[in-house]
Amino acid sequence: MGLVHGEEMVLNIGPQHPATHGVLRLQVRTDGEVVSQITPYMGYLHRCFEKHCENVTYEQVIPYTDRCDYLSSMSMNFGYVVAMERLMDIKVNERVEHIRVVMAELQRIASHLLCTGVFGLDLGAFTPFLWALRDRERILDLFEFTCGARLLYNYMWVGGLSHDIPVGFVESTFEFLDYFEPKIDELENILAHNKILVERSADIGVMPKDIAISYGVTGPNLRASGVKWDLRKNDSYSIYDRFEFDIPIGEGKKGTVGDCWDRFYVRILEMRESVKIIRQALASMPKDGDVHQSLPKKIRPPKGSVYARTETPRGDLGYYIESDGSPIPYRLKMRSPAFTALSVMDEIAAGWLLSDVLAILGSLDIVLGEIDR
Amino acid sequence: MVKFFTDIYTATSTILGGMIITINHLFTAKRGIATLQYPEERWPRPERDIGFDHGSYNVIRSRLHVDMDDCIGCLKCERACPVNCIKIETSKAPERGEDIKDVKHIGITSNDSRKAMVVTRFDIDMTECCYCNLCTYPCPEECIFMTGGPNSKKHPIDYEFSEPDRSDLIYRFAKPGTKEGMEKLLNDDNKVEA
Repeated sequence: MGLVHGEEMVLNIGPQHPATHGVLRLQVRTDGEVVSQITPYMGYLHRCFEKHCENVTYEQVIPYTDRCDYLSSMSMNFGYVVAMERLMDIKVNERVEHIRVVMAELQRIASHLLCTGVFGLDLGAFTPFLWALRDRERILDLFEFTCGARLLYNYMWVGGLSHDIPVGFVESTFEFLDYFEPKIDELENILAHNKILVERSADIGVMPKDIAISYGVTGPNLRASGVKWDLRKNDSYSIYDRFEFDIPIGEGKKGTVGDCWDRFYVRILEMRESVKIIRQALASMPKDGDVHQSLPKKIRPPKGSVYARTETPRGDLGYYIESDGSPIPYRLKMRSPAFTALSVMDEIAAGWLLSDVLAILGSLDIVLGEIDR
Repeated sequence: MVKFFTDIYTATSTILGGMIITINHLFTAKRGIATLQYPEERWPRPERDIGFDHGSYNVIRSRLHVDMDDCIGCLKCERACPVNCIKIETSKAPERGEDIKDVKHIGITSNDSRKAMVVTRFDIDMTECCYCNLCTYPCPEECIFMTGGPNSKKHPIDYEFSEPDRSDLIYRFAKPGTKEGMEKLLNDDNKVEA
């Protein structure tokens, strides 16, 4: 069935459209309701992160990394401290490693909860969004219990943590996990298999394997396209190699492999895997150990450079740090996972209807703070 | 034809399934569990009892406060701040007089260290503060902290400190003791305004 081409119209979605996350402008070229070209314009949240880092000391970079991906600050801190510890050759003790893994996985659940909830919201399902935020709130309470902050933590430090977990944290985390596991099933039942959502997302915005790889898309978006690639397993950092968990990949249950529904469903499966990891990490966490044990007095790394990558809820986060031996980084470059996810937008969303573009954008789970930096 | 009816079946069954979950939730949810009427009721803060001597720890992010009686003017918090919102100026403690020349301090802090510097200016601009808590860790006298932390009895948590005027959020902790200090402060104020 051929389309009758009419006059093309250029439409701006954003910069402050309520359906987009963060502040992003999508310039959409439409023919009727069919989108023929999408050009993302970003930079509305640009804060000169990389240049700013060349003016502050290494420990002062950590609050800035918080603000890049404000929905998964713990993971951003984690990537930075892994890079710095590799550069300075610091080995942290077991307790610190376990606490870091627990925090990063809790953060992954919180981030995926928001993503799945907002994806439903974009497609008109309001109830699951509120339920997802209600559960996310409990994770934020745990973080507040630990470090006083709910969103921007500055918790992981180079060579340790800012402070130890409070007494009762392990118990309340177990309590949360027991509460949360049935809630994942509930979220899945009300949202994932719902016919309306399936119709809106299955077979829509298909990202084949080769396009995902050639654009450098990582994280859940890549796994939804059927590539089994997770840095926690494939290039293991910290102590992730000790835990048993699966890497969920998109199987095209409701449509084609790599469609919006797969990208959404992989995140629900990943929450289950994160719960597994947290349970194992909490069970094997050593009771004693000073979190300040290997904290360097002055962070003055030797001359040289390092590139370290970690798996955030959105994909590969890479930090390239060039040090000239002074307490201030000579150059700090961040490889952002959401940036590559946004770059594939034009490739996979062209040819779909305007309302599908918002579904595709929601399924990519981008955070503009990280894209603009 | 079969697909048509299976589609209708899945659509009605999944939507009804979702409806059942929602209706169950309606009856089982306790009232007032998710939302609070904010100004009247508040979320309980997490317990401050973190189980160990938390003199040097601070697990709250709220308004910064400085106990000026304990400040020795070491400038460590100023250097730690990533956004430069702390501004400190110091001058040497005056000699007390002809007869007691060796006493070059203005008092003793609660940690028994001599205050060798007079802090003529200690300004914290809370509009710029990023609540990273980095300034509280290096303080040797533990006199800069976020309210509600270790000194919560003396300083209860205070996260509601909005002001009608932005300049009211610049907290000036130093008391201008000398005439020169007062003049300096006033001159600085004029500079800021200009």
